[in-house]
Amino acid sequence: MAEPFLSIQHVRKSYGSNTVVQDFSLDVEPGEFVSFLGPSGCGKTTVLRMVAGFEEPSAGRIFVAGKDITRLKPNQRNVGMVFQAYALFPNLTVAQNIAFGLKVAGMPKADADRRVAEMLEMIKLPQMADRYPYQLSGGQQQRIALARAIAPKPKLLLLDEPLSALDAKVRVSLREEIRSIQKKLGITTIFVTHDQEEALSISDRIAVMYGGKAEQVATPFEIYNRPATKFVANFVGTLNVLEGKVTDAASGKVQVNTQEVELKGKLNGSKSGDTLALALRPEAISLGRQPGRDSSLSGEISEVHFLGSVIRVRVGIGNNTVSLDTFNNSATPPPAVGEKAEISFSSGDMLVLH
Amino acid sequence: MKSGKFWAWVVFIVGAAYFFIPLMATVEFSLRMRRGVHSFDAYQIVLGDARFQSTFLYSVIAAVFTIVLGILVVVPAAYWIRLRLPQLRPIVEFITLLPLVIPAIVIVFGYIRMYGSNSPLPFLASNMGANALLVIGYATLALPYMYRAVDTGLRTIDVRTLTEAAQILGAGWSTIITRVILPNVLIAVLSGAFLTFAIVIGEFTMASLLNRPAFGPYLQNIGANRAYEPAALAIIAFAITWGCMSLIQILSRFAPKSANRPN
Repeated sequence: MAEPFLSIQHVRKSYGSNTVVQDFSLDVEPGEFVSFLGPSGCGKTTVLRMVAGFEEPSAGRIFVAGKDITRLKPNQRNVGMVFQAYALFPNLTVAQNIAFGLKVAGMPKADADRRVAEMLEMIKLPQMADRYPYQLSGGQQQRIALARAIAPKPKLLLLDEPLSALDAKVRVSLREEIRSIQKKLGITTIFVTHDQEEALSISDRIAVMYGGKAEQVATPFEIYNRPATKFVANFVGTLNVLEGKVTDAASGKVQVNTQEVELKGKLNGSKSGDTLALALRPEAISLGRQPGRDSSLSGEISEVHFLGSVIRVRVGIGNNTVSLDTFNNSATPPPAVGEKAEISFSSGDMLVLH
Repeated sequence: MKSGKFWAWVVFIVGAAYFFIPLMATVEFSLRMRRGVHSFDAYQIVLGDARFQSTFLYSVIAAVFTIVLGILVVVPAAYWIRLRLPQLRPIVEFITLLPLVIPAIVIVFGYIRMYGSNSPLPFLASNMGANALLVIGYATLALPYMYRAVDTGLRTIDVRTLTEAAQILGAGWSTIITRVILPNVLIAVLSGAFLTFAIVIGEFTMASLLNRPAFGPYLQNIGANRAYEPAALAIIAFAITWGCMSLIQILSRFAPKSANRPN
């Protein structure tokens, strides 16, 4: 296996007795786009700040291209960073902001001017060179911040929730732009976010973090479809969690309420009589029996919400409630609260949470 | 609404009268030197006096050095406290307020004892040393104003994020302070500089007790021995103060544009 470009090895960070990052390790390949996803206080920004050099790890090491950068100052790391609060220098024009890192590095003026023009073209704002940050919108400011971070050709690009201060529409377009620029330049990137949609849509891999640890590091597809822990399953996407009791561990039979489902090969390590948390994504469930779906559960419709193109239905199965969406079909009236209903799913879609 | 406007005008007129009537009276008195007619004789005498020119020039130079010293001490200190040592802020604020509580005469007597010609640091043994001590003393007197002005300026910018943004782009501390922090608090620094200038130009106690040829002791001397000239000097000092304010307004137009000062 090739040597990782960024290697974070057993990094820990404590403030007094409070440990915010505990034994975090991650290898990132050259040109890879990895997102740190997690709720507030999970330690994702602290790890990023340790990579940037703004925080010193209490233990562990960080390597970039094989070089130990753990004790290097931020200005010696050749890392680019985009901050949540834009952080453009208010006293400098757009062009001067982008040229800042080039000037500090001692690049001749003609070369720096050329590079600034190139960066402005790349972010599609060539006409903004002489504007001041206060004359730009949030989205434009963050584009400039991205150009400024990339201009000195850093080895690594760090993005600290760069989209969270923007409105929804700009957020979507800018995240696509960031990904496209990253791919074009092939720059290894770490992206911190608490927005799962952002992380799922643009990352090569996601590190889902909780309590200062990486719960799972995998591709977006795996994170969503095969969450490794209960936290990942709950945090990423919407999930119906059902309580089940193993009735026959050998044949994979689990009882939900009074009904039985068969989960072949999924009960590793469980014994008969164990209680399990089972999970189903809403899109894996259909109302009524459907061909190709080998399992079903019966219950009673407890809520119906008409949302236009879809109808959200909640079905009570004993103490459990399952939420699912069905497409609105004008030929069929929506189900009514109190009706008996059967939900069907493929046993392969049912997750056993550990 | 109409009644509110009426009272606003009343308050404005009373306030303006409070400030302008004594000023007009002083102007009028300063023009009465020649019996029976108004003249600028008092001004001519004051402005033509070689001691006026030399003491005023001395104080202006002392003010410039005091401002430079104040900026060199206060800007990095206030910046570092905001960035890394916010827990020290109450202590530093208290220290910067001390010159308002401790009279200048106490400070200057302390200086004379500490830095006399027989002390290990004999500032007062030479003219240059005494001048340096006077500038240091002035910087201490101006500390409450300079620190507050700079600290208020720093409050309007995100010091930590701007510092980190500059650091990650490769900048060292001197570049961060001179190219990122100082330009963004320039207006605040100018306000502090103006207040320092005003304090230094009129200061009497330190300059007198350190036996320096400054403008403050000259003003006192004229005031004690003449009738019309002190009034003319007061008006000249007032004009200088207004001149300084106008200069700061003009300079601020050339200051780097910032998000905090959009136009």
